[in-house]
Amino acid sequence: MQNKIEVMMGGGAVTTAPHIISSLGLGSCVVVTLYDPKWKIGGLAHIMLPDSNSLNGYHPPYKCADTAIATLIKELRSMRANPRDMVAKLVGGAKMFLSSEDSSPGIGEQNIMSVKHILSREQIPLVGKSTGGNYGRSVEFYLDSGKLIVKAIGQEVKEI
Amino acid sequence: MNDKKQLLSAEQVDFLTEVMNIGAGNAATALTQVLQCQVDLVIPRVFIIADAKELSTLNNPSLPVVCARMGMVGDVSGGLFFIVPEEQKKDLIRLAEQAMTGTSQLWRAGLTSQESDDLKLSVIAEIGNIVTGVYLTAVHDFCRLNIFHTVPTVATDMVQALLDESLVRLSRQVQHIIVIENEFVVEEKLIRTFLMMIPSVESVNILVNSIGQARMAMAQDGG
Repeated sequence: MQNKIEVMMGGGAVTTAPHIISSLGLGSCVVVTLYDPKWKIGGLAHIMLPDSNSLNGYHPPYKCADTAIATLIKELRSMRANPRDMVAKLVGGAKMFLSSEDSSPGIGEQNIMSVKHILSREQIPLVGKSTGGNYGRSVEFYLDSGKLIVKAIGQEVKEI
Repeated sequence: MNDKKQLLSAEQVDFLTEVMNIGAGNAATALTQVLQCQVDLVIPRVFIIADAKELSTLNNPSLPVVCARMGMVGDVSGGLFFIVPEEQKKDLIRLAEQAMTGTSQLWRAGLTSQESDDLKLSVIAEIGNIVTGVYLTAVHDFCRLNIFHTVPTVATDMVQALLDESLVRLSRQVQHIIVIENEFVVEEKLIRTFLMMIPSVESVNILVNSIGQARMAMAQDGG
């Protein structure tokens, strides 16, 4: 029976085929998915911040890009996924409101840069993305195929 | 380790609810003038969200809404969001368009009845502007806090997508959000709106202390 796991802001989950992991309402947040196509095991993190160094004390493991990706890799390894076979996809990181007083890179862009940097360091290839822009997104991650369905209001559904 | 702390005690939430009740009454009066028809208020609900994850109070992070975003400056800084679910937008705009004539406030604000979508969103922004101003006046009168809101920017999209950057910017750790749910009845239509107040991490204590003190003062006065 196919289950759908809903991941909230700052959360994450790992599972296997034939299940689905979804996460809704991405603005500046990003979703990163890791997938081992051989074993059809994968995980999704809904990341809010680029770097856990800006936080003191305890924080949920999937909230920041660095700890989120490290946690996903650890969890997937414990399920026998092979990091060498893993591929990644990235969704979100939009800038929802244009602000004239604010020319610095928004959190969305920082999240995207941070994830790309970490994936490159871990040597996990980024094989699909739907990022940037000024609109919100929702994602469904299908573990049987590794496919991501990305929805945005007023736009065609995208498959990556 | 659970670092979720009650922002306000139950009594303080009750007090804040009473303050917002008065604000809501004034908001209904203000909207009656703006929309040029009778606006009645269903008693507002105030609740505190202590964790961004609990934002599913709105039940659906991908719920399409119109959102007027304002900055909060003064004694308390942070963000303010006036939110109208998308399905209610048409009702609100239709009512506002009826009122955009003559010397009505909306007309004076420079809005006229036109087809443009941007202008329709401006209507929501202006209503948000007015409602927020009225609430902050109530907070000033009862909690002795000078809080001002900046000019709104407005966008339509999934509710969580519109809020997440502000949530992260204003507080990287625990999130405290004050939500005022207002239902207005206009021409027998129920229009549900939300005003969300997100104090910055530096301001949270000021807000809590002021509410606490004001409540104590009122209790001592036998009020």
